Amino acid sequence: MTARKITAPGIPRARPSFYLRYMVEPYVYLSPALVLIALVMLVPLVIGISYAFQSVNLLRPIETGWTGFDNFRTLWSDRKFWLALTNTFWWTAGSITFQFFLGLGLALLLNTSFHGKRLVQALVFLPWAVPTFLSALTWAWLFNPTIGPLPHWLAALGILPEPFNILGDPNLAMWGPITANVWFGIPFFAITLLAALQSIPGELYEAAEIDGASAWQMFTKITLPFLAPMIAITVMLRTIWIANFADLIFVMTGGGPANSTQILSTYIFTTAFRKLDFGYASAIAVALLGLLLVYAAVLLVLRRKLVKI
Amino acid sequence: MARIELQNIAKNYGPVEVMRDINLEIEDGEFIVLVGPSGCGKSTLLRMIAGLEPITEGEFRVDGRRMNEVQPRDRDMAMVFQSYALYPHMDVARNMGFSLEIRKAPSQERADKVRDAAKTLGLTSLTARLPKALSGGQRQRVAMGRAIVRDPSAFLFDEPLSNLDAALRVEMRLEIARLHQRLETTMIYVTHDQVEALTLADRIVVLNAGKIQQVGTPLDLYERPANRFVAQFIGSPTMNILEVEPTDKGVLLKDGTVIGISPGAERPVACDLGVRPEHLNIVPQGSAHFSGKAELVEHLGSDTNIHAHVPSIGQVLVRQHGHFPLKTGDPVHIALELDKVHLFAPDGQRLDTVLGSG
Ligand SMILES: Nc1ncnc2c1ncn2[C@@H]1O[C@H](COP(=O)(O)OP(=O)(O)OP(=O)(O)O)[C@@H](O)[C@H]1O
Ligand SMILES: [Mg+2]
Repeated sequence: MTARKITAPGIPRARPSFYLRYMVEPYVYLSPALVLIALVMLVPLVIGISYAFQSVNLLRPIETGWTGFDNFRTLWSDRKFWLALTNTFWWTAGSITFQFFLGLGLALLLNTSFHGKRLVQALVFLPWAVPTFLSALTWAWLFNPTIGPLPHWLAALGILPEPFNILGDPNLAMWGPITANVWFGIPFFAITLLAALQSIPGELYEAAEIDGASAWQMFTKITLPFLAPMIAITVMLRTIWIANFADLIFVMTGGGPANSTQILSTYIFTTAFRKLDFGYASAIAVALLGLLLVYAAVLLVLRRKLVKI
Repeated sequence: MARIELQNIAKNYGPVEVMRDINLEIEDGEFIVLVGPSGCGKSTLLRMIAGLEPITEGEFRVDGRRMNEVQPRDRDMAMVFQSYALYPHMDVARNMGFSLEIRKAPSQERADKVRDAAKTLGLTSLTARLPKALSGGQRQRVAMGRAIVRDPSAFLFDEPLSNLDAALRVEMRLEIARLHQRLETTMIYVTHDQVEALTLADRIVVLNAGKIQQVGTPLDLYERPANRFVAQFIGSPTMNILEVEPTDKGVLLKDGTVIGISPGAERPVACDLGVRPEHLNIVPQGSAHFSGKAELVEHLGSDTNIHAHVPSIGQVLVRQHGHFPLKTGDPVHIALELDKVHLFAPDGQRLDTVLGSG
């Protein structure tokens, strides 16, 4: 490298011969971060996806090799996959709907002023701090009629004909993990929506009141538009997270009875670590990834259309 | 249409008392202007009338009906906020038509009213913009528009023109005067601009530190200020206040000049003499009350302001009409227009003693 004249500020450093150098220079500085990201994110992702096009079964180590779209063809005609997909939909939709609306209600309550607000606020966020496995176990017990009160209460309310364990009923079992998940996920929506609510200037409500708006009109015409960006992003993140969230189901029902609570992520888990068929598990995972990408794209487009602020 | 009565209104924020003893009756269709120094409680009073701020004590009535507990939306008042409070997610047209939208007015009527208001306010080309894409003055006009599309029982304006340039302010002032003439609706208007106050008001309310100092027509306040605060607050430039001592014959200025009282008037207890700059005149030495030296002469074209230093009395501001040929350092001889002089008691209240040449 040759010595260069020291340049003063304002005098352009890049002469044409140095052009390439200045193109490359930023990437040199960025390279540690890029390498790190590539190593911890991209490499596992690519390897994982590549498994989907191979036969990787630890029980049949000899038949390893590229198989093209074989795994996906099997997937297409796999009844269990379609069942798990349907279950994933209900699991995600049920959880997110209740989490969102109850979380929103809680945030609206916490946004008013009342006595002992700080204490309530702290308590509300508690479920978030409980380890998932612990809450899954606790909820499993709560649903167990021999030790838990819930079946008796439900029976007393007339929701159940008699106190039995809904986790054992193929038609109702999904409600068990969904209930636990709702309890577990409300604080997330409450926290984020409360933050968004608190950022709405109070004078807008005053102006709306002067303009004659009722409480409901203020909610729909001021609160909701302000919350919309936050709602879009949190609902998207939580949907993806819940669709992948197997812990509760795994501990509470293990996917049963009769696969009635089997969702894609538990199916992936059992395929990979019980049947040791990594190739097929990867194919399911890729299918799930594709669906979630489509969902995220749709939501982002909607957000751009609806959100004005 | 509304007749507004405030009776013994007081306002506390926790232990802090910000307003007390507010008594005011506003006739139907009257144009009331609230003036007072910053922080004296003008916005607070307006917000209490609008219902945004609870009234701590006293009774607030509209057309004889107690309104203290009535919700803002049921009070039927339009308000322009000091901070505008525009809806950031709605364009200008929707901001202005929001009250109509809430009332579910037919969209044709809404569009017409918004268009008229936008035209009046010079916002026609901006109706599709969001507030964030407007200048401060444009936002203020949108806030104004939001009020004037309505036909409320009273308008409350909190410094609605503070952010406009001088020419636009004059134009908008005329629009407001026109609006008042057309609708004959009660208006309560807060401003820091004396010209606005004096030209628009039927009556002006002067507030200081949460108390009403005086209520009266612009001319009342100018000619017969109730106390020293009002005297100094109304009128620009500010009134000169000279310390005096009462004597048997009249009042004694600090430099020994005696100004007599009219024959028959009782002995004043004055301690301050107030005289507006325009009621002081530069005269030949013989007929002057006191003399001094011009320290600064401001030639404004229409007027000349002479800041004079008078030994043992202090600074005195004299205002002469037209161009007055005087330079810094020139000696000046000053005479008071005795019938325009005000006397104030030690507690600041006005005294009705008339000065004369006695
Ligand atoms: N929430 C509050 N808590 C305590 N004091 C308050 C509160 N809001 C206003 N004040 C006080 O009340 C007084 C009156 O305030 P206000 O806003 O009415 O003044 P203003 O006359 O409108 O002044 P400006 O001309 O600057 O707008 C001020 O001294 C202010 O500090
Ligand atoms: Mg104010």
